[in-house]
Amino acid sequence: MHMADALLSPAVGLTMWAVSAGSVAVSASRIERQELSEKKLPVMAVTGAFVFAAQMINFTIPATGSSGHIGGGILLAGLLGGFPALLTLTAVLIIQCLFFADGGLLALGCNIFNMGIIPCLIVYPLLFRPLLRKGITARRLTLASILSVVIGLQLGAFGVVLETTVSGVSELPFATFLMLMQPIHLAIGLVEGVVTAAILAFVLKTRPELLESAAERKALSAGVSVKKTVAVLAILAVLVGGGLSLFASANPDGLEWAVEKVTGSPELEQNDSVHAAAAQAQEKTALLPDYDFAGGGAGGTSVSGLVGGALTFALAGGAGLAISAVKKRKKHTAAR
Amino acid sequence: MADMHAALGKLYTLEQLSAGTTVIHRVHPLAKLAATGVYLVCIVSFDRYAVGRLMPYLFYPAVVLALAEVPYGLIVRRSLTALPFCLFAGLSNLFLDRTALFHLGGVAVSAGAVSLAAIVVRTLLCVAAVLILVAVTPFVQMTDQLRRLHVPGIFVSLFEMTYRYLGALVEEASAMVTAYRLRCPGAKGPDIRHMGPFVGQLLLRSFDRAERVYQAMKCRGYALRDTMRTKHPLTAGDWIFLLAVGGSSVLFRLLNIPLLLGGKL
Repeated sequence: MHMADALLSPAVGLTMWAVSAGSVAVSASRIERQELSEKKLPVMAVTGAFVFAAQMINFTIPATGSSGHIGGGILLAGLLGGFPALLTLTAVLIIQCLFFADGGLLALGCNIFNMGIIPCLIVYPLLFRPLLRKGITARRLTLASILSVVIGLQLGAFGVVLETTVSGVSELPFATFLMLMQPIHLAIGLVEGVVTAAILAFVLKTRPELLESAAERKALSAGVSVKKTVAVLAILAVLVGGGLSLFASANPDGLEWAVEKVTGSPELEQNDSVHAAAAQAQEKTALLPDYDFAGGGAGGTSVSGLVGGALTFALAGGAGLAISAVKKRKKHTAAR
Repeated sequence: MADMHAALGKLYTLEQLSAGTTVIHRVHPLAKLAATGVYLVCIVSFDRYAVGRLMPYLFYPAVVLALAEVPYGLIVRRSLTALPFCLFAGLSNLFLDRTALFHLGGVAVSAGAVSLAAIVVRTLLCVAAVLILVAVTPFVQMTDQLRRLHVPGIFVSLFEMTYRYLGALVEEASAMVTAYRLRCPGAKGPDIRHMGPFVGQLLLRSFDRAERVYQAMKCRGYALRDTMRTKHPLTAGDWIFLLAVGGSSVLFRLLNIPLLLGGKL
């Protein structure tokens, strides 16, 4: 479910970055205010590393011959609480992005949102915790885990579809993409939910005090603001929804628009909102949308573009090779 | 478990590379971070058919890898791992967008094929840029820079510690999987029915380890709020790097270099 940079537009990428950075900052400040934040830090770090390691354990799914691995959002939230879980998952996602090319840097905001904010700050407080309010039993824990993981993954997959479609790089129509993603993630969610439930049930049996939800239940009865949390989430949801709809209705590619405005391309000189909307509609229906035929005849332009592209490719590669060769020779002479 | 150790190997190779002393390694981490950001935004801001216009962006990885003495093969191989999902989304373009865009030696090239190629090139360039950033910036400098950028201290400390404990936890998980396999010959991994106690055990060990880590940190006088932000201003060389990479990225975005070059021939 890790999204890559190549399928994103800058507007979507940067908006989701802002949303995720804001949520991470809020989570960090909430944890810092707690007295035991210092003690919680190693627990969060080690469980983060644990999730990373546990994701590598491929288990076999009986009767299918396939294998799966856990995701970790609800598992972490159940153990640490929503805000610490988000921070921990964010750290894991950044490491996966930077060192394993798993998800892009620009797409990091989307990935934190789809895989971190949704399970930890939306599904966990609104579904997982209420389900356990009456007390933690193995049965309730199993039900809460499976439901939360399934719903979290469905929302996450929906996020991927929405962000990809709004970016407009892939041709996949919204409905088709949705029909592909949701059922696959329903199956994945069920399996992951069962495994998450089994792990949490094991912890409940062996070390019940480790379940954060158990501790939080006591805090809740002492009157810690559930309302406040819900209010924060509601505001977040409105902001995100508002942000998404804003750039869904505006020009789909904000930076390109800005750049072309700087260069004074005639295409954009008449860019009022009606024209923009019309141009967008035209872009959707046009046979050869957006391609640069500046040089007149389409054939000629693309051939010179193609030759130029190949030439640039060769030049770039050549430059690199030349530098390497010079460096090697220098080292060689230095060694002698 | 072979793939677990392979993953650790990946992590440590990049860390070893980042310890280099070349001119690129010496550039200020902020300059490298900002340059990578501008580079990425410029690349993804192109429309979906702009495969030719992406070519000038090859200069950055080609030149920086050579200057930083990072092996090309390593970055290319790693970049390829990011392709599958993009190919999935890109292949649909091939089938859904079948308008002929131009003819090449009598063969019609469809718009979908061009946009698929553009997606592949974008993916490789974006992933390479991030990997290069990590391969030429030591981890400590990176987190130091995050603190200077006022990223919450608790998060940066968490990020550092998670990174440091990856190795220990992956080793632990790997040992458990090996033990499981020895007791269940022929099993690829744990059965789904055993995942609860299996991963649960790993989790309990992790919590115990965290407790020991905390005590060890306390013994050494650790306090969360004491982490210092070191001052490290940008030098002229850093500005030159930033302007060269960022400026060229913006320039390539504004000017159609391949078309200009091709037109001259």
